[in-house]
Amino acid sequence: MADSSAAEPTTGASSPPVASDENSTQIQPIRMPTIEEIRAQEVWNNCAVRAVTSGVMGGGLGLMMGLFLGALDNPITHDTMTARQQFVFTAKQMGQRSWNSCKTFAVMGLVFSAAECIVEKARAKHDTVNTAIAGCVTGGSMSARGGPKAACIGCAGFATFSVLIEKFFDRHT
Amino acid sequence: MASPIPVGVTKEQAFSMAQTEMEYRVELFNKLAQTCFNKCVDKRYKEAELNMGENSCIDRCVSKYWQVNGMVGQLLSAGKPPV
Repeated sequence: MADSSAAEPTTGASSPPVASDENSTQIQPIRMPTIEEIRAQEVWNNCAVRAVTSGVMGGGLGLMMGLFLGALDNPITHDTMTARQQFVFTAKQMGQRSWNSCKTFAVMGLVFSAAECIVEKARAKHDTVNTAIAGCVTGGSMSARGGPKAACIGCAGFATFSVLIEKFFDRHT
Repeated sequence: MASPIPVGVTKEQAFSMAQTEMEYRVELFNKLAQTCFNKCVDKRYKEAELNMGENSCIDRCVSKYWQVNGMVGQLLSAGKPPV
């Protein structure tokens, strides 16, 4: 099996190149992935790598959102501070809010991605059920401070949200 | 991996034994790939790569298939009828 697939490229290369369009329509033999390609794909299958990457991306998103919303929300009082003080005050508020938002979103991304990865590996299926369970775990763990009722509502809400987002991103398949 | 050829076996016999073994291995691989593909991979293809659920399903399927194959081979070679 390995010999036939290794012999095919040599016979293909030794044929005389008559015309360029003839070469472009030649059917390529099936190429097995090399061990480096397999290892590169296996890196992305690791739950820790996925969770950390998702957490970092969530943190970046949180920073952007916090900067944007922090700039919008601050009331600027014209009478108590000069322009420069106003600018410094606004910048500090924006930084504070964006850092809080960054932390929240990073934790959210990390927990969601880790939960989805673990559930998918355990079930050995690729479904939207994985997304729903991961959303429930994320929402429940983030609302757990408010008591069990808040945790249930957070679970249901975030599960619905993440299923809708997943369907939205997969709508053209 | 190849078992040592017993003494007193001619070259043609060794060659035919090797050929039979090779055919058996190829058939085993084809059956294994077909069974685990039909079991694990959803036929509505959405992407070219195997996702994580399919990967872990294929790991489990191949592991079970190999183990059962080994057990059945041992039982058959020991001369007992498979239960």
